[in-house]
Amino acid sequence: MVAPSFLARAALALTIALGGLLVAPAAITAAAAAETTDATDTVGVTIGAVDLDGPAIVEVPVTVRNQSTAALRTLTVSFRGPVGWQVAPASRSVSGAVKPGAGATVTFSVRVPERRPGFHLRTFTATATYRGGDGAGAAVGTRVERSGEPMADLAAAFNNTGITDESATAAGNFDGAGNSFSAQKLADVGLGRGAEVEALGATLAMPDVAPGTADNVASGGQAVKVSGSGNALVLLGSGSSFSATGTVTVFYTDGTSSTAETGLPNWSFQETDAHGATLVASSVGRNRPDGYGDAAYQYRVFANSVPLTAGKTVDFVVLPTNSALHVFAMGLAG
Amino acid sequence: MQTTSITTPDTTPDTKLATGFSRRSVLGSAAAVGGAALGIGALTAGATPARAAGQRTMVNQAFEAHEIVRIGLIGLGNRGSGMARGWADIPGAHVVAVCDIRADRAKRVADDLVARGKTRPKEYGGERGSFKQMLDREELDLVYIATPWEFHYDQARNSMLAGAHVAVELPIATELNELWDLVNTSEMTRKHLLLAENCSYGRNELAMLKMAHEGVFGDITHGAGGYLHDLRALLFNDGYYTDDWRRLWHTRSTASFYPMHGLAPIAAAMDINRGDRAVTLAATATAPRGLADYRERFVPRDHRSWKEEYINGDRISCEITTSGGRTISAEHNVSQPRPYSRINSIEGSRGLFEDYVGGDSTGARVYAEPLHSGDTWRGFKELRQEFDHWLWKELEDDASGSGHGGMDYILQWRLIQTMRAGLVPDIDVYDSAMWCSPVPLSVESLAKKGKPVEIPDFTRGNWRKPRVGLDSRQTEMPPVP
Repeated sequence: MVAPSFLARAALALTIALGGLLVAPAAITAAAAAETTDATDTVGVTIGAVDLDGPAIVEVPVTVRNQSTAALRTLTVSFRGPVGWQVAPASRSVSGAVKPGAGATVTFSVRVPERRPGFHLRTFTATATYRGGDGAGAAVGTRVERSGEPMADLAAAFNNTGITDESATAAGNFDGAGNSFSAQKLADVGLGRGAEVEALGATLAMPDVAPGTADNVASGGQAVKVSGSGNALVLLGSGSSFSATGTVTVFYTDGTSSTAETGLPNWSFQETDAHGATLVASSVGRNRPDGYGDAAYQYRVFANSVPLTAGKTVDFVVLPTNSALHVFAMGLAG
Repeated sequence: MQTTSITTPDTTPDTKLATGFSRRSVLGSAAAVGGAALGIGALTAGATPARAAGQRTMVNQAFEAHEIVRIGLIGLGNRGSGMARGWADIPGAHVVAVCDIRADRAKRVADDLVARGKTRPKEYGGERGSFKQMLDREELDLVYIATPWEFHYDQARNSMLAGAHVAVELPIATELNELWDLVNTSEMTRKHLLLAENCSYGRNELAMLKMAHEGVFGDITHGAGGYLHDLRALLFNDGYYTDDWRRLWHTRSTASFYPMHGLAPIAAAMDINRGDRAVTLAATATAPRGLADYRERFVPRDHRSWKEEYINGDRISCEITTSGGRTISAEHNVSQPRPYSRINSIEGSRGLFEDYVGGDSTGARVYAEPLHSGDTWRGFKELRQEFDHWLWKELEDDASGSGHGGMDYILQWRLIQTMRAGLVPDIDVYDSAMWCSPVPLSVESLAKKGKPVEIPDFTRGNWRKPRVGLDSRQTEMPPVP
C-alpha cells in the first residue's frame, strides 16, 4: 500500500483516539483506548489509564503497537500531559526493533495535582516517531480523563457580575476594570432581568438575578447541563476583549461529542459581526465604579451559535477556556 | 545514645567568634578545616565527589516511625528559644534536652517549658562543646539547631553521627565542601538533615505551589525570591545577635548569605531536584553602603562596631538557570531601608503570581489565562482559598499566634508528623544543600566577575525523578500513645 503522509497519518491517529473519547466521555477505559489502535496496517499509540487522585506521582504506560507488515526501528515516544503538569522523562527511546504484530510499552511519571472540585477534562498526548513500520514516521495517541460532573444549569456557573444598577455600580466587574452594563439601559432595549430574547432561532432568557450579583459565566471550561436537541447551540453574551473566542464542546447523551469554534465581539468598539456573531441589542453607556458614564458609547450584547450533530440529544456543554467570553444565556435552536 | 560509626575524623572546628575570622577562606568560616579533613578539599562549583562505599541516596527515604519524637535543641537565643515552645506543643513531640553555650539560657527555656506543663528537659551549656555532651548522653530522635551560622555545619554533622535526624536553621552550611559533607553524612548515617525553611510552609507559598502543579501558570519559566529585610537596627543592637555574630558576617565576605526564604518556595514550585535541576548561578553585588551609613547616623562613636569594615554588598543578586530552561532570581539585602519582602513571584506561559505587592488582604496578586483577561491584576484571595494547602486548612487555628504568621508551627507540626507516621520528609538534604548553595557559589561567581558557575547536583542524578515533596497528600497525625 502507499503510505499516507506523516501529517495525514498523525491526524488519523489523533482523530481515532478522540473517537475513543467520543464513545466514552467519562474516563476512557484501557480497553476503549486500545480500540483506538485497531486499524490494520498502521502503527497505533495507546495511553494507559491515568489516576487523577492527586497529589501523587503516577506511572502512565504508553504502548506503541505495530500493526504494519514491517518492523519499527529507532522508536521514540514523547509524552505530554495538561499544560503545566510535570512529566518525566519527556521522551523515551525503545532499543531494538518492534516486529510486525508486536508492541512496545514505555512508562512515564506524571505529577498529578490535587483533585479539584468541578468538572475537568485532562488531556494526555503521546507521540511515537519511528522508521519503518507503516512508513508514516509518526503516530499520535490521545487520552482524555474526565473528573467531576457538569453543573445543573448556566446559572450555577455564574461567576461574574456584568450588570449593575446605576445607583450601585461598585459590585460590577464585567471587564476586569470594574465596569459593567447598566441594568436600566439594558432594560430600555429589551434585555431586562429575566427578559426573553429571540436570537438565531433560539429563545433565551436574560439572567433572572438582581443587578449587582453574579449574572454571567466568564468562560473557563465550565461544563453545564443542556438538555434537548436541535440544529445549533446559541450563546448570548458579550466579550471583554477583542479576542473573546474559543472552542465549545458539546457532549451528547449517546456519549459522543462535537466541537466548534465560537466567539463574541468586545462589548464596545469592535465590529458587531466579529467572530461570526450577531448583534442582539446595544445599550447606551455603562456603569463605572464611580457611577453611570460613557454615555457617548454603545455597550452591546451579541449572539453566536455552534452547530449540533443532527439527530443527537445534547447532554452537556463545555464552554471555552477564555474568560473574556461572557455568557448570559445559552439555549438550543431548531 | 546509640551512634552510627563512620570512619571520618572529628572535624569540630576551632571556631572563633567576633572579629577573629580570617578572610583567606572563601567565606572566612571554618569550613576549609572540615572539608580538608574529610578529603573533600577545596571543591569548586559543579564538582561531584564520589559516593563512599555503603553510602546510598536519601531520595524517597521514609523516616522510621516514631511513637514519640525526642527532641534536643541546640542554640537558645532569639530563634531557638522562640521555637522551643512550638516543638513542645506538637502532639507526640517531647523536648528532652536543651543546650546553649550560655547555660542560663538553657535553664530559662527549661523553666519555661516546665511552667507550660511539660516535663523538664535536661540542660546542657556553659561551653562550646556542650552540645556534644548532649549528643553523647541523650537518646535523641531529632536535633534542632538554631545557633549562629558558623556552627550549623559542625553541629548538624555531629548530630547525624550521633544517630539523630536534624533540622537546621538557615543556612545548613556556608561552604561547598560542608554542603557535600552533610549530604554524604546523611546518606551514610541514613539520617535526614533538612533546612528548617519555615517559609516553604507559608500560606501564599503553598497555594502558589499547588497552582503551579495544577498548571494555572502554564509551563513555569521564571521565578524570583529572596530575603529583603531591613535588619540594620537589629544588626547594631547590643544583644539581639549574640556577640554580634550576624553583623560580623558582613565584615568577612561578599556573599548571598541568606536568600533561602525566597528561593526555596520558588525551587519547590519548579520541582527542583524533583524533575528539574538548578545548573548555574551568576552573582552580582552592589557596593556596601547601608551598614556604614546606618552606623554613621545612629551608632555612637565609641561602639565596637566602629572597628569594623563592611564588605558585603547591600544587594547580592543571583541568577540561577535550570536544566528545564527556567531562570530564578534570588536576592539578598538586609542592610538598606525597605519594607519586608521575600519577593515570591513566579510566571509561566499562562500567567503569573506576585507576592508582597499588596494585591489584597493576602498581599499578593495574580493574573492567569483563561481565568483572567484584560491585562488587569486580580487579588489572590479567591485563588488562595481554592488552592489552600491541607496543612493550613487543618492547622490554621493551632498555628495562629505562633511565629511568623503560623509558618513556624506548620513546619514543626509537619516534621513531627512525618517522623511519627514514618513518611518521607517534605524537605530533604538535597533540597537543603541546593537552597544553601548560593552562599558559597555567589562568592565563587563574584570572584570570577559574575560569570556563571556550576551548581552541583547534590542528588547525583536522582533529580530527574518526580517526587511529591511539599505538595503532599493529607494524612493524620498519629494518636499520641
